[in-house]
Amino acid sequence: MKKVIMGNHSVSHGVMASEVKVISAYPITPQTHIVELLSEMCGNGDIDAKFIKVESEHSAMAACVGASAAGSRAFTATSSQGLLLMHEMLHWAVGARLPIVLANVNRAVGPPWSIWTDQNDSLSQRDVGWLQIYCESNQETQDTIPQAFKIAEELQMPVMIVLDAFFLSHTYEIVDIITKEEVRKFLPEYKPEIKIDTKDPHSFGNLGGPDVYMELRYMIQEAMEKGIDVIKRVDKEFEEVFGRGYGLIQPYRCDDAETILVTSGTVSSTTRAVIDQMRDEGIKIGSLKIRVFRPFPFEEVFEVLSKAKKVAVIDRNISFGNGGIFYQEIKSALYGRTDIPIVGYIAGLGGRDITPSVIREIADKAIGDDKPERYINWIGVKK
Amino acid sequence: MVKKLEFKSYKDMPIRAMTLSTMMWNLTGSWRNVRPYYDFKTSPCIAGCPTSENIQKYIYLVTEKRYEEAWSTIIESNPMPAITGRVCFHPCMSKCTRKDYDEPVNINAIERSLGDMGLDNPGWMTKVKGTESQKVAVVGSGPAGLSCAFYLARAGFTVTLFEMEKALGGVLRWGIPEYRLTNEVLDRVISSMLEAGPIEVKTGVEVGKEISLEELEKDFDAVFLGTGLTKSRSLGMDGEEGDGIEAGLSFLKKVNGGEKVDPGKRVVVIGGGNTAMDVARCAIRSGSEVTVVYRRTINEMPAIEEEIEEAEREGVKFHFLAAPLEIKRNGDSLTSVVFQKMELGKPDESGRRRPVAVEGETFEMEVDRMFSAIGEQADLEGIDGMLDCEWNLIKADQKMGQCSREKFYAGGDVVTGAASVVEAIAAGRKAAEKMIRGFRGQSEPEEIEDRIVGIDDMNIDYFTKVKQNRVPRIPSEEIKGTFREIKTGYTDELLEKEAERCFSCGVCNYCDNCWVFCPDVAIHRRENEYEIDLDYCKGCLICVEECPRNALSTREEGK
Repeated sequence: MKKVIMGNHSVSHGVMASEVKVISAYPITPQTHIVELLSEMCGNGDIDAKFIKVESEHSAMAACVGASAAGSRAFTATSSQGLLLMHEMLHWAVGARLPIVLANVNRAVGPPWSIWTDQNDSLSQRDVGWLQIYCESNQETQDTIPQAFKIAEELQMPVMIVLDAFFLSHTYEIVDIITKEEVRKFLPEYKPEIKIDTKDPHSFGNLGGPDVYMELRYMIQEAMEKGIDVIKRVDKEFEEVFGRGYGLIQPYRCDDAETILVTSGTVSSTTRAVIDQMRDEGIKIGSLKIRVFRPFPFEEVFEVLSKAKKVAVIDRNISFGNGGIFYQEIKSALYGRTDIPIVGYIAGLGGRDITPSVIREIADKAIGDDKPERYINWIGVKK
Repeated sequence: MVKKLEFKSYKDMPIRAMTLSTMMWNLTGSWRNVRPYYDFKTSPCIAGCPTSENIQKYIYLVTEKRYEEAWSTIIESNPMPAITGRVCFHPCMSKCTRKDYDEPVNINAIERSLGDMGLDNPGWMTKVKGTESQKVAVVGSGPAGLSCAFYLARAGFTVTLFEMEKALGGVLRWGIPEYRLTNEVLDRVISSMLEAGPIEVKTGVEVGKEISLEELEKDFDAVFLGTGLTKSRSLGMDGEEGDGIEAGLSFLKKVNGGEKVDPGKRVVVIGGGNTAMDVARCAIRSGSEVTVVYRRTINEMPAIEEEIEEAEREGVKFHFLAAPLEIKRNGDSLTSVVFQKMELGKPDESGRRRPVAVEGETFEMEVDRMFSAIGEQADLEGIDGMLDCEWNLIKADQKMGQCSREKFYAGGDVVTGAASVVEAIAAGRKAAEKMIRGFRGQSEPEEIEDRIVGIDDMNIDYFTKVKQNRVPRIPSEEIKGTFREIKTGYTDELLEKEAERCFSCGVCNYCDNCWVFCPDVAIHRRENEYEIDLDYCKGCLICVEECPRNALSTREEGK
């Protein structure tokens, strides 16, 4: 059934259709609608889940850890400072290999206090070990939730799905709403081999000496690497049932493109409009949306970008002392191809709008500058 | 401890950081320095009930729909819940923890529902045969006498119950109007009690006049006097004896006896106690305009608050700080009463402020009838002299009812002065229990001090505010010309909902919180109890903290 709904509610519908058993969350702008609707769904019986109210995001994730360890499908949603407060427990979910799904609404980190979007909250969790999938539309957001559970449960790894504050979270779009009955054809019931069972007590998360620690970490990396194929396969299985697929990355008019703009999140849609405009002008330009950030799809990205003459990366984030975080990833993906200049553009921090003219400015700069002096460029800073 | 495993490959390891073998060998109970234990305390309602009904327990049983057990629980300490459920002033409810949270649990209404169920299920009452040799005379069949007779008979002792009126019930019959307690309910309660054991009834016999206490002392092993307060106190005014002026009690007796009465158009009732309220409400039902005149203020009124509220609701007017001064007549018939205005002076021995006349301030009220309800007195003819009396009441041990002569016990209003039905029931039961211990040569039970739980002892976070379920009632507009019962009692659904409101203060009601929260899975759920597995309990005391009702306590190990 098609409905016009907001991005946050797309998440809620995805969670409902995935028949999650435990939801624990703490409210934070701009995420709150997600759990508000979920609590209503729990209240009126649309979803047979336990909704656990907690006093902080740290506890929210701790509750999900407990629920997942006990064999339940668990979900939480958060944003910005909330995600940062969860940090310790995010590590725990990975180390304990728990297939929790978290929706993070990208919101800039304070101070100065901000409620508007940028990616520094989720990207600062880059090395924790969560899979990260960045969404672009309400439809994609909803569809990614059951995908995320399937991926997570197969890999026994937690998955974070990420959406932009306001540009997605509060924007209404037409969404073909999926139902539990449909999702059952795609996502099987979660029946973990290992779970906490009071009748068969083991110690979980106990002391692991130097003789076992590395092996456990090795297995996490192994799961991440295996993740690329699993995500691809799960996406295909989803497409078979629902007729929609999203891939690891989404190249747009890249086949003969000399310049490729690399994007993520909602900026990707705006960029495509600019690409079409420039193509009409005869400029050979394309764009590449990175959907799956962890595990990073090195091969797929190399495959697309290695054919270009120039790559421009738009980052709505900043790793201070280095540069854009996607920029670093793209550089490492193209390692060895010194013939392709890769230029980074920092734009849209703290919710500053990235309009078509901003993207056009970046594209023109990238094309016009054959030997850029700076590889980290700030767009729109009042100097 | 188990052997340490050496992994040759990561492939042999579980992906989770966990032990492969059981951890049952690890008796973490050795870490404990404080131990939790189940320790039930006293719910404040129980402490507040004069006859110590196990309220927490029977409400819990109602939530479990175990009605017969719930009813039996009440019967242990009160043989007439159908009556107290209607007329009790329910001090339990003013002690209820919920009172400090939202509204008290309507214990009174729950009790009534159970009482009515008991009447509808006569099989619930176990019938006892006379197995004991001793015989007891019980004088007076009001709540004290009935209660005493019941508990003696239930223990197998033969009781002869003397009543001076033709029908049993005492004040329950002639003192409480039909709209609060119908004769039908009263008859059913009394007959169920009489069937419970060997009780012989002798009505129309006035002890002290037709049979002397000496005779009873000779013929019986013990005598209980629960003769109540049967004489109206007079106003002590000139013209009080004439037409149009009547004692409230005698009016009530007529009304309750089903006699047609016409109290007249303009009625004034003197007094502020329950009898005054009953008279006023009976008169308003007969179509009169009723004014209650009381010499102090509403704050000093001895009547049950609910009765005052009901009277107001039904249209009874109140005039405070006034006392009758002069009766005016036209020929024989009453025309008006002159009242003296009063003010409150220094507190008297009852702690209430004494009313003092305001010099020269009077007013006149035109009335057709005046009822006096300024208190009742005991009729001690034939008793005084045989037993020690004081303040025109029998002198008896307030707890056990023992009088100044060995075989004699007394309880209820004749000992305490005007009190309540439930206190009389308690006095009757306690005297019966004392006699039984005496007959059987048992020692007196040790007195254990109650540890009463209050709101500060509870983990109130576990409760949500829920308003008391109101008892369905007939609208106040419909009371004129009818004496039918105002309150129709809870439906099954309301009963269940109201019972669910009980916090079960200080006593486990198997909510599972301790069991759910124990991080060591060291609490085991058994049939109607939990067991703490001390081999694994680390003494974190989360169970104690998270118990909503303070049913657990702690003790330091080694002390």
